[in-house]
Amino acid sequence: MMLKAGQLLKEVIASGRNALDEYEGNQLLTQYGIPMAETSLCRDLAQALEAAGRTGFPVVMKVLSPDILHKTEAGCVRVGINNEAELQQAYQAVLRNARHYKPDARIRGVIVQEMLIPGLELIFGVKKDPQFGHVVLFGTGGIYVEIIRDVSLRLVPIKVRDALEMIDDTLLSPVFSGARGKNYNKDTVVSVLMALSRLVQEHPVIGEVDINPFILYEDGMISKGVDAVIVLDDSKS
Amino acid sequence: MNQNNLEALFKPENIAIVGASGNPAKAGYVILQNLIRKKYPKKIYPVNPGEKEILGLKSYARLSEIKDTVELVVLITPSKMIFSVMEDLDRRMQEKNDVKAIVCAAADYGETKTEEGIRRQEALISTATKYNIRVVGPNCIGVIDNESMVDTTFVETGVPEARFGPRGGVSFISQSGAIAASILMIGASQALPVRFNKFISIGNMADVDFIDLLEYLEHDDTTRVIGMYMEGYRDGRRLIDTMARIVKKKPIVVLKVGRSEKGASAANSHTGSLAGSDRVYDAAFRQYGITRVESIDELMDTLQAFDKLALPQSENLFVLSQAGGPGIFCTDAVSKYPFVKMPGISGETRKKLKESLPPMAVVCVPEGYADITASATVTNHAQSLQLLLEDDKVGGIILITVIPTFLPKKELAQALVNTYSNSRYKYEKPVYFVIMAGDYVKDIRETLERAGICTFDTPDRAVNAAKNMIKYHQYLEEQNSGGECL
Repeated sequence: MMLKAGQLLKEVIASGRNALDEYEGNQLLTQYGIPMAETSLCRDLAQALEAAGRTGFPVVMKVLSPDILHKTEAGCVRVGINNEAELQQAYQAVLRNARHYKPDARIRGVIVQEMLIPGLELIFGVKKDPQFGHVVLFGTGGIYVEIIRDVSLRLVPIKVRDALEMIDDTLLSPVFSGARGKNYNKDTVVSVLMALSRLVQEHPVIGEVDINPFILYEDGMISKGVDAVIVLDDSKS
Repeated sequence: MNQNNLEALFKPENIAIVGASGNPAKAGYVILQNLIRKKYPKKIYPVNPGEKEILGLKSYARLSEIKDTVELVVLITPSKMIFSVMEDLDRRMQEKNDVKAIVCAAADYGETKTEEGIRRQEALISTATKYNIRVVGPNCIGVIDNESMVDTTFVETGVPEARFGPRGGVSFISQSGAIAASILMIGASQALPVRFNKFISIGNMADVDFIDLLEYLEHDDTTRVIGMYMEGYRDGRRLIDTMARIVKKKPIVVLKVGRSEKGASAANSHTGSLAGSDRVYDAAFRQYGITRVESIDELMDTLQAFDKLALPQSENLFVLSQAGGPGIFCTDAVSKYPFVKMPGISGETRKKLKESLPPMAVVCVPEGYADITASATVTNHAQSLQLLLEDDKVGGIILITVIPTFLPKKELAQALVNTYSNSRYKYEKPVYFVIMAGDYVKDIRETLERAGICTFDTPDRAVNAAKNMIKYHQYLEEQNSGGECL
């Protein structure tokens, strides 16, 4: 059921789109060993109930439509769904809102996603620079990334040493050295950065990747990315 | 184009100056004067149809009239004359085929982005290309080589040749003519005026560009460190790849402007808008061991330190101060750079320091720091320096002294020279001497500098040079260890 990365990208291009949808982005990153919040694409209520049963409550529900970019504003996102009754109710509501927001919107389905508990919010990214080619990015994540601008960049390909230096370039450096008694591990950050570097080397058609937030937990809990934006490069290469 | 032709830029067999002038207010006069003052040992041929003789040299009406071989042509005529000058050059090349390089100092070419300016630049480049002549500029202040005594600049530093220090290992490439000129002048204003090794202002880069020159300097044995002022380059990746290769052999120090530039306008994601072109350059510099500096002071200080001092073999930097305030100021500056460590020294060194210093002296509080106090004598300065140089934990030292009027400064300078530059430690550990007393100490700073010691105005400036050296050392170490595991 899961498409291979190359095949997935080919299909997106063939369909005339220049970006992956949330579900495709999630699939692609997972294939490269980047842990992402567990996500299921459901075609009907029965599938949604089954997915939630698999993932475990609470869950998040979102309408997946290429025609609805601002899902929250359109009322197409529900968070904190705690049981089957709430899920049924949310399922009807998000679809109704989608139809109301844009009657002719194409709807691919409904996403049921694991709801992550709060942790340290990071951002990971890639951008294809017109002069330098792909660069990877790491830093403090969340909704204020463009204001705080606490990020570090390196040219692809990177080495482990580069990934470690990227952590040290940011204000998060002491957080990874045990500040306030917390025990965050650098290994997850390093492996996500190495995976992104490999991903864009193997698939240079990727123009931009944004994983924000990526939620990092202390040792012993699996850290995961939440939202992924993957945009393809218009120019041929 | 042919890499060898750059040789004629730095070591030309005779030079013609088209647009040489008898009017001291004109650039065409200063260029000639600089070449004469520098005692360029080969022939100089002024070209100006309106003059018979300039500064004692016969002036020619046209390039094509010079019988002798000319390898380098400097153009300082108004740019509208480029068409007739190129026709004449064509005539010369048909006959003699000797010119190998042109320095086009004049402006009003492609940089104006006008049709006429672009046409002029094309006229220059098409003739040059036809004969495989390399062109520096247009719109630049030219080239200096202090080995072959070539100087095509029209920069007047006001400092007599004899006052300059010996030729150093710093070669510099500047994209801006004005920055180039001011770096020459600021260099000339140092306690010991700086004599660069090679100096190139590249202007419009119509032909010779950063990469050509970096590659030339890469293989130039007398260039020990490369400095650059840059605004931008059309192929950033190739530039970085070139620099990354060279940096393993010699340090490159870059002052790059354009930080304030807005992020990419057409960004689709956070990453897109956070990864603007200057940030990408910055990342590339960090990744490949290229030293980026923030100011002209840091540029000058770092270049001098790389040229004159031994590269540190560890990140351990000891702060030895003759006064409390400057010492704390220095410690603060060091603490901004987590990769620089102030080391704990051996018990024996501590003991010896305490015994040799005045009772008020503060030793190793905090670690890596000593305040020998204002009552410290010349001997106290020299002894404490000696003891620290001998300690294995010390990788480098910042020595700060304010030189009160009761401390004999000439004796101090001599003692420091004996302890450091006349010892093997000069080749093992860098010592950054901060002499914080303005013009009062200019004379002894000159003495120290002539003995190959690097001196600084203020502690923060020394710290900047020191941390840049340590960072470079760490980069080379990591390259050599090459460990890649996860």
